[in-house]
Amino acid sequence: MPANAYPRLLIPEHPTPAGAGDTIASALYAAGWRTFSRSFKYHRPRGLLCGAGQCPNCLMNVDGTPSVRACTEPVRQGMRVQPQNVWPSLKHDLLSIIDRFDWLLPVGFYYKTFIRPRFFWPLAEKFLRRAAGLGEIDTQAEPKGGYEHEYRHTDITVIGGGPAGLTAADEAARLGAQVTLIDEQPELGGHLRFQTRTYADIGEQSGAAGFALAESLREQVSSQPNIDILSSATVFGSYEGGLLGVMQAKRLIHLRTKRVIITTGSHDYPAVFKNNDLPGVMLGSGVRRLLHLYGVQPGTRAVVVCHDETGWSLAVELLNAGIRVAAVVDSRYRPPEAQDSAQQLQQSGVEVLTSYAIQTARGTHHVEGALVVPLDARQRPFPHAGRFLPCDLICLSTDQAPAAALVAQSGGELSYDEALGQTVPQQLPPQVFCAGDVTGIHNLPATLVQGRLAGLRAAHSLRASETSTPDSHVQALQHELDTLEQEYRHQYEPYPQLSHAWANKKQFVCVCEDITHKDLAQGVAEGFDEVETLKRYSTFSMGPCQGRMCATSSARICARYAGSELTTRTTTARPPVTPVSLGVLAGRRHQPEKHTPLHQRHIALGAEMMLLGSWKRPYAYTTPDEEHRAVRERVGLIDVSTLGKLEVRGKDTARLLDKVYTHIFSALRVGRIRYGVMCDDSGIIIDDGTVSRLADDHFFLTTTTGNVEFVEQWLKWWTAGTDLCAHVTSMTGGLAAMNIAGPNARQVLSQLTDTDLSAEAFPYMACRRATVAGVPALLLRIGFVGETGWEIHVPAECGEQVWDAIMTAGAAFQIVPFGVGAQRILRLEKKHVIVGQDTDALSNPLEADMEWVVKFNKDDFIGKRGLQAIQERGRRHKLVGFALRDSGMAEGGQAVVVNGQPAGRVASAAFSPTAGKCVGLAWVPVEVASGTGPLQIRINATLAQADIIDDAFYDPQGERLRS
Amino acid sequence: MLQLFRTQPMWRRHELKDRYDVVIIGAGVHGLATAYYLGKLGVKNVAVLDRGYLGGGNSGRNTAILRANYRTAEAIPFYDESLRLYQELSQEVDFNVLFSQIGHLTLAHTDTGVDGLRVRAEANALLDVDSRLIFPDEIQRLVPAMDVSKAAHAPIQAALYHPPGGIIRHDAVVWGYARGADRMGIEIHPHTEVQAIDTDNGQISAVHTSRGRIATNIVVNATSGWCSTVARMVDVDLPIVSHPLQACVTEPLKPFLDKVIVSATLHVYVNQTDRGEVVIGAEIDPYASYNSASTLPTLEMMAAHALELFPVLEEARVLRQWSGICDMTPDFSPIISTVPEVRGFILNVGWGTYGFKAGPAGGKTVAELIVTHKTPTLIEPFGLTRFYDDCLVGEKAAAAVSH
Repeated sequence: MPANAYPRLLIPEHPTPAGAGDTIASALYAAGWRTFSRSFKYHRPRGLLCGAGQCPNCLMNVDGTPSVRACTEPVRQGMRVQPQNVWPSLKHDLLSIIDRFDWLLPVGFYYKTFIRPRFFWPLAEKFLRRAAGLGEIDTQAEPKGGYEHEYRHTDITVIGGGPAGLTAADEAARLGAQVTLIDEQPELGGHLRFQTRTYADIGEQSGAAGFALAESLREQVSSQPNIDILSSATVFGSYEGGLLGVMQAKRLIHLRTKRVIITTGSHDYPAVFKNNDLPGVMLGSGVRRLLHLYGVQPGTRAVVVCHDETGWSLAVELLNAGIRVAAVVDSRYRPPEAQDSAQQLQQSGVEVLTSYAIQTARGTHHVEGALVVPLDARQRPFPHAGRFLPCDLICLSTDQAPAAALVAQSGGELSYDEALGQTVPQQLPPQVFCAGDVTGIHNLPATLVQGRLAGLRAAHSLRASETSTPDSHVQALQHELDTLEQEYRHQYEPYPQLSHAWANKKQFVCVCEDITHKDLAQGVAEGFDEVETLKRYSTFSMGPCQGRMCATSSARICARYAGSELTTRTTTARPPVTPVSLGVLAGRRHQPEKHTPLHQRHIALGAEMMLLGSWKRPYAYTTPDEEHRAVRERVGLIDVSTLGKLEVRGKDTARLLDKVYTHIFSALRVGRIRYGVMCDDSGIIIDDGTVSRLADDHFFLTTTTGNVEFVEQWLKWWTAGTDLCAHVTSMTGGLAAMNIAGPNARQVLSQLTDTDLSAEAFPYMACRRATVAGVPALLLRIGFVGETGWEIHVPAECGEQVWDAIMTAGAAFQIVPFGVGAQRILRLEKKHVIVGQDTDALSNPLEADMEWVVKFNKDDFIGKRGLQAIQERGRRHKLVGFALRDSGMAEGGQAVVVNGQPAGRVASAAFSPTAGKCVGLAWVPVEVASGTGPLQIRINATLAQADIIDDAFYDPQGERLRS
Repeated sequence: MLQLFRTQPMWRRHELKDRYDVVIIGAGVHGLATAYYLGKLGVKNVAVLDRGYLGGGNSGRNTAILRANYRTAEAIPFYDESLRLYQELSQEVDFNVLFSQIGHLTLAHTDTGVDGLRVRAEANALLDVDSRLIFPDEIQRLVPAMDVSKAAHAPIQAALYHPPGGIIRHDAVVWGYARGADRMGIEIHPHTEVQAIDTDNGQISAVHTSRGRIATNIVVNATSGWCSTVARMVDVDLPIVSHPLQACVTEPLKPFLDKVIVSATLHVYVNQTDRGEVVIGAEIDPYASYNSASTLPTLEMMAAHALELFPVLEEARVLRQWSGICDMTPDFSPIISTVPEVRGFILNVGWGTYGFKAGPAGGKTVAELIVTHKTPTLIEPFGLTRFYDDCLVGEKAAAAVSH
């Protein structure tokens, strides 16, 4: 391989169809690549290990996406692939110097260093932060998007398309269940896809090769109409209520299922021995994948390490692919004789070392040989009796771990099975079934029976009444399974755990985080003697593989040194089981933005828009000051369609309103309006608005913009379960609303309606139905901004028509549209409170200076008790109006200071053109409110003086409002 | 540095004695800090009990954000003291707790939000806590990877910048206090569940555990998530509702963010640890529950909101999701006090979503309370009786900004 074979663009174009089925890793491997990444801490070279997306060894940056698993990512034309966490290159990574100084980096290194002097840590931290992390994100990149969410329902979900899953799905579908079969791979078949060995004792198909068996199972399943197949899809989490999170490329499927059959199989993980992370050490299943899925030669001379016949058949497959096999190293004392593979190995002259295990992988950047040692009858190594076997590939078929995380998330209990040396499902909830390798039994005949049984039982449990299969059949299957399982357990011998803490540091348990056997042993010695604390101290299992490669080994090591049973369990299996991108989880970026029916008018007028809650509203068309002047001197028009608008009808409506508002509404005359405040149980203000009585049993309510959904629910909540007859309808979206206000408002509006608008016929706080510009309208004579004015509610679709008519009619009076900016000043001059702006989660109407809206003399209302308590204990704060003495400007949130301490706050403030200075509302302690001295408000770090003003700053008698 | 080459147990296991001067329930940051400071004040016949392992509750589930820029004159000095103790903790316990004082930003996306931040900024300034309002240009300089543009769905208008805030290695804090307490002779008993508490004429007399009975006159309830169930063992009803709170963490990425980012409007907070992982937290779940199973909708919400702030993270992958149970009080402030009806029963509970920030100050003041029989000034506002006297602390006004 030429030295410059590590260019930035790693994948050349693939003109040949041979590359079509390749993954990045298989293509690179075929081109001679052996190192795919550098390790997290020591920057040791790492090569392909699992070949199945389970380990961290091939994480690369692909087209700007960090930490892509190269071994499962299909090759695309022109793909840009770069190594990550290396400097300057993958081949020559200068940080690998850390590997030499590992003795300086024992477990818990950070906790024990950089303590004194204090300034040392922040400096060290800067360097450490740079060294940490794996993938790099491009902070300049544009988001790609394209994510979507989908929702589905099914009877039975089978997770895993291997032999167990295929059999289970087939069986359940035959019994009439709607089945969804989910598999991670692009093609169903699981590990059988890359098995060329033949299987006995599997019924009619006995003698068939694995891949052929996969083919026939696949066909069976595909021909079933009621099996829905999701390929290249991953179940990343099992949540309560039978909800499965499924990721399929950029799509997240929320799958609700009644039953789940978990056939997720198992995965190999590496035995712990010296240099077990060297490129060239590969898991047996990874070697098989390279050989049979991608037709790549994994090496030239192999040593196969195993503890069962899987390794033997792998050796035969290697031979058939033209690879020399230096030896098969089997840890069993006396492997069973009758193996087909034994004969073939013998014929090929392959040495089989039984009762041997691997102790060391030798080599600097890549495997150059394996040191293997003989074992005594108790599987302990004979010292100094090792044999060195030169090779460039070490295949580990030593340990399996059931992929049982989803079982645990689905409510199943896992426990460590001493005889199998694996953590297996023990107790399952009634809606969960397991079959295949996930049960810890790695035997195809048993797997197929388990699959059938799981399918049968799941389908039966859905249709308990009509049993189409006799119980005797189920029992027979169970019996068959029991026999197979017993046999399997009888001959099963776990691979021995040879590693020793003090022998050598480089015996890796956790490859993601570079945690060695010695690290864990030392962690236990330091008191972290249970797996949960040891995990947090050493950080094993916290890397990208989420513990797949290390969970069992580390639990074993922990138990060994802690001398306890308790610890032989793995840590909690938290979702997601497979890393899921934030983009997939977030889905399409929905950013709902509400537009009023008059939105286009504002745009046409060139208004400066602002976001208020989810509404876009005009802040100003010109400037707030100019618009303010127009309203005070002439006439203005504002779009108030964002107000919450509720119609409440029914004979008990008045009673309902008496209950939820602090004011009395049963006494309100038809055609009149009253201001209302709602409180919660403790007397805190939750909303305010106007209440108009349109008929005895018909009220029209406005609410604050952001609160309409809440108020609607609140009203319905207090109606539900009572005998009150009242129905709430939200009219918010159905009505456009605008407020015409100013000394000339009457002249303008009267041009458009026949209704008598005179002060006598249509007084302040009255409401009438009317026709405005030919449109049926509801007119409310209210005055939030403090001038003569009407709030006009019309059907949304007629909003623009009415707006235009008013603007035209107002032209002679120089009418202007005004926005939120001017409205805020106008209302502040009138000391009108905005709930949510001037009040917060602790404000009550008594302290907010709105005592007049609280009617203690009526029957119970929500908040009455709380408000009475406040009344009794006395008020502590008061919302007061203030005017700054000097020319400064106050802002909302500034502190009212008493004796140097924050004692209150400015709620709202603005420059009042009317008052010629800054005015506002502020929360102050009652002593201050009733005192004589000026308020002290902290503005730009100095204290400004302000006078408390009891009346409104503008038109305190309300004459203009009523005129 | 020398400890690097020595293997010493952090703490020892003990047989349970039949009598202790003080029994602390809960071996999290508050329980262990209480034990540690009790030891410093000379009270060493102390047992810390936990039904699980050390720091396995909310001390290991929070997102390890520290700050002192609260809203009220009651809370600010308390959390400020806690932050000060955290700054010195590594030296105090001779164990690096990896405090990254990288700075903390609370974002405002609305006018009201800006006003809310200004309330805090002003109160902080008056009480000498470094926290000030900054605006989009400066925010962008501090956090280049964040979308501070006007084009964002909810454009960022301002932020409260609190330079002394940051993140810490929460487990290390727990271990540091545990080791410190152990070295003073205080016993830590994991996997020892309290099943009942005896009183005698309104005075605590004994604790029944899964490993036997202990006689004691003082019990500190330093549990989190289930503090009201422990209080009920002595017939004390706490005004607490427990809600789950969820968080998640991504695969390690090269550093791109060295500030803690909190957005109340988006109900999300984001930071990047020294290891490179991006930690994303949500607001509390809207329903009360003791169920700490993670949920998919919340994970989706966290992702969506994190992406609104950091669209560049769309391909960062989530590795783990978890949840803890938060004991919420009506005023978003803790309960640290004696209980009038039960002598010897001391509460260090109600830590909602702000407990880890308060660990050192909580532990220290409770230890002082036990030794001096007087309530330290710092925790006077946080007594249980405030709920009867209607003297709530004003932190709820900043309710949504609880991290």
